[in-house]
Amino acid sequence: MNAVLSFLKKPLVIALILIVALLYLGENLSPGFASADQILRLLIVASLLGIVAAGQNVVILGGREGIDLSVGGVVSLSAIIAGNVMNGADGGIVPAILACLAAGAFFGLLNGLGVTLLRIPPLVMTLGMLGVLQGLLVVIRNGIPSGRAAPGLSAFVTQPLALGIPGIIWLWIAIGLFMAFMLTRTVFGHRIYAIGSNEHAAYMAGVPVRRMRIGLFMISGMFAAIAGLCLLGYSGSSFANVGEQYMLSSIIAVVFGGTSLAGGKGGYTGTMAGALLLVILQGILTTVNIDESGRQMVFGATLLLLMLFYGRGKAMRA
Amino acid sequence: MSKLTLNGVSKAYGATLALRRGDLEIAAGEVHVLMGSNGSGKSTLCKIIAGSVRPDGGEILIDDRSVTISGPQSAREQGIGIFYQELSLAANRSVEENVCLAMLPVKAGIFVDRAAMKALAARYIDLFSGVSGDGFAAETLVGNLRADQRQLVEIMKALASEAPILIFDEPTSALDRAQVDRFFHILRGLKRDGRGIIFISHRMDEITAIGDRVTIIRDGETIKTLNLSETDPATVIRLMVGGAGDMPASQSSAPAVASFAAGAAMTVDRLSGAGFRNVSFEVAKGEILGLGGLHGQGQSAVLRAIFGASSEMSGEIRIGGDRFDAKSPRDAIRRGCAYVSGDRGRDGVIAGRPIIENVTPIHYLRDRLMIARPSSLKAKAMPALEAMHTKFASLMHPINSLSGGNQQKVIIARWLIDKPDVLLLDDPTKGIDLSAKADLFALIRQLASEGLGILLYSSEDAELLGNANRILVFNGGSVTRELTGEDRTRYNLYQAAYEAA
Repeated sequence: MNAVLSFLKKPLVIALILIVALLYLGENLSPGFASADQILRLLIVASLLGIVAAGQNVVILGGREGIDLSVGGVVSLSAIIAGNVMNGADGGIVPAILACLAAGAFFGLLNGLGVTLLRIPPLVMTLGMLGVLQGLLVVIRNGIPSGRAAPGLSAFVTQPLALGIPGIIWLWIAIGLFMAFMLTRTVFGHRIYAIGSNEHAAYMAGVPVRRMRIGLFMISGMFAAIAGLCLLGYSGSSFANVGEQYMLSSIIAVVFGGTSLAGGKGGYTGTMAGALLLVILQGILTTVNIDESGRQMVFGATLLLLMLFYGRGKAMRA
Repeated sequence: MSKLTLNGVSKAYGATLALRRGDLEIAAGEVHVLMGSNGSGKSTLCKIIAGSVRPDGGEILIDDRSVTISGPQSAREQGIGIFYQELSLAANRSVEENVCLAMLPVKAGIFVDRAAMKALAARYIDLFSGVSGDGFAAETLVGNLRADQRQLVEIMKALASEAPILIFDEPTSALDRAQVDRFFHILRGLKRDGRGIIFISHRMDEITAIGDRVTIIRDGETIKTLNLSETDPATVIRLMVGGAGDMPASQSSAPAVASFAAGAAMTVDRLSGAGFRNVSFEVAKGEILGLGGLHGQGQSAVLRAIFGASSEMSGEIRIGGDRFDAKSPRDAIRRGCAYVSGDRGRDGVIAGRPIIENVTPIHYLRDRLMIARPSSLKAKAMPALEAMHTKFASLMHPINSLSGGNQQKVIIARWLIDKPDVLLLDDPTKGIDLSAKADLFALIRQLASEGLGILLYSSEDAELLGNANRILVFNGGSVTRELTGEDRTRYNLYQAAYEAA
C-alpha cells in the first residue's frame, strides 16, 4: 500500500494522471478535443514549450536561485532572425539555424557572465535581459519588415515526417533522450546536480562552477532559439512578442515535472509531462472561451499552487 | 563577601555530560580566570551563568541567596552581563545603537531618546579613544568596521550593561597590544569598583597580567582554584593536562619514522595569508605531519591556502621539486593534492545525490572523463569504499541515508580512486563515531606507508599525539614550536599552545 502511495506521489505519475483526466474533461466539454488529429496538434504545441523548458530546466537544476526569465525574449528574437535570414527560401534554413543558435548562445553568455562575474542574482539579471531583448525587438521591427518561414521548415513542424508524426515531435523526443543521457550518464550532468545541491562542496571537489553556470545559461539560450525557429515554422510568420508566454509556462512545466526551484533535484522527463499538461490545460481554457489574459491568470495561480504542494518545506528555503 | 557561587552545577546534552560538576566562587572586586582545553566544559559553565543554558542540577547563589536564572533576560536582571565570543552585533546599525541595544533610553514610552542614547554610548566609546583605530566613530555602521573594532563594540556593549558580575569569553582574540592594554586598564578600574569579573583567555601572559585567581576545568569538572600570585604557568598547564601529561606519545601507535631519504612530498616556504604568516615546513614522503595548537590559530587557513581555496597568499609551495601554487582547488587536485574538511556539510557532501556521485568527482577531473558509465565507475568506487570499511546498501542510495561517520568515509573514498601525492586533513574526524575514527586513522597510516605526504590538523590532541611523526604547534597564525620524538607529549603541546605568541 505504501509502495503504491509513494508511486502515486511521484510528480511524473501525478502529471500523467492529470493529462489523462484533462483529456477526458476536454472531450466532454467539446467532443473531438481528444481526437488523434487534435492530440497531434497539442503535441506540436507542447514540443515548442518543451524545448524552451529543457533550457529552463538545466538552469534551475544548477541551483543558486537559477532561473532564466529571458527565454521568451530569445524565442521572439530568434523567430525574427530566422524569418529574415531564410525569408521563405528553403536554402536559408541552415544559415537561419546557425544564426539563431549563435544569438541564443550570445544572450545566454551575457546572462551567465552577469550572474557569475558580476554576481547579479539570476532573477534580476535575466529580467533585465528580457527588457533589453524587448527593446531590441521594437528597434528591429521599426527598421525592416519581418520575413517568412521557408516551406521546408513549416512542413517539418506541421506535416507528418515518419509514422504519421511531424518532425518537431521527433525532435522533441530526441531532445528528451539527449537530456536524459546528459543528466544521468555524463560528467557534465553529474556536475549540474553537484553545483545545484552544494555549490561549495562541488568547488572543493574541482568542479569549474563558474564555467558550468555560464554554460547552463548558454544552453538555455540555445534551446529557446531552437524553439523560436520552430515557432516561426508553426505560425508561418513572426509577430510581435510571439515568445512572451514562454517565460511563465516554461517555469511551470519544470516545476510541474518535479524539479525543485532550489536546484539539484529533478529531471527532464517530468518536465516533458509538465509541458504537455500545460498545453492541454491551455487548450481546455481556449475551448471554454477564456482569453489570453485569463489563461495567464490561471497559469500564474497554477504555479503558486504547485509551490504550495511541492515547494513546501525546505525546497525554497534551502 | 562572595558575590557569585556555583555549587555542583551539572549539564548533560543527551548522553554526553558537558559539565559533570562545576564549583566556582567569584568574589567582588576580582578577575577570576577560567582555564581548560577545548570541550572541557568552560563554555557550558559560562552559558549557565548567563542564562542561555539551564543546568540539570546544582545551585547558583548570588550574595549567598539561592537564585534561578531562567533565561538571558533573567540573568541581566540578576546583575550578570556577558561578552559573547560569537559576536552578537547588529551589522546594519551604528556603533552607538549597538552599545545601547540592551537598554535603549526611551522617551514618552515609545520613542528612542536619541540625545540620551548618544550621551550614554559616548561614555563607553570614549573609554577606548585613541586605540579604536581609523574610521571608528559613534555613527559608523558596525558592518563597516574591522574585526578588532567590532570586538571593541562588543566589549563596550558588555560594559554598558553596568552589571555587577561580568563574563568575558575570549574578549581579546582580535585586539592588538594597545587595545588589550587599554581594556585591562578598564578592567582594573571595574575591580576597584567591586565588580566580579570572569575572564576566559588562552594567552598565558594575559592571564598572569590581569587575573587574581584561576579555576581549572578538566573533563567537565572544576579541578582546582589557585591564587595566580602563588603559582606559575607550568603548574596551571599540568593541572589542565592531568596525570599522564608527561608521558611521551606511545611508540606503538606512531607509524615508522619517515625517512627524508625518500625525499620531500611537499615543501612550504614562508607562506603568508589571511590568518597565518611566515609558515615554513617540509613533509617527507610517508610522513604524517601534525598541525597542533588551539582551535583557529591558522592551521585550517594554511591547509585551505595550500589547496588553492583562499584568495590571497604569498610564499612558495613545492610538490616533488616542482613549484606548486594552486590557483583553485581544481588546479590543486589536478596536480596531486587532496583535501578533506571536517565540515563535511559545507565542503564535502553533495546532499541528496547518490553515493556514487559523491565518490566520483575527483576521478572525473583527474581522468578527464566526459561520459559516466555506471559499470566502470562502480568498479572504481567499490575498492575505495571498501578500503574505508564504508557501510551502505547500494551505490544509488542518497548519501544523506548514511550516518555521519559513513558520509565522511564516502568523502574520503573519493580521493582514493586516483591517489594524490599530498593529503591535507583539516580536522577530518569532527563529529564522527569512534569506530569510524579508528578506520580513518588505520587508512591514513597505510597511505603514509605507501609514500604519501600527509598533513593532519586535529582539534583532538590525542589524535595528533597518536598518529603524527612530528607536530608543529600553531599559535597566533605562526608555527611557534616543533615537537618530535620524545617531546611529543600532551604537556609540551599544551605549553606551546598556551604561551604568548
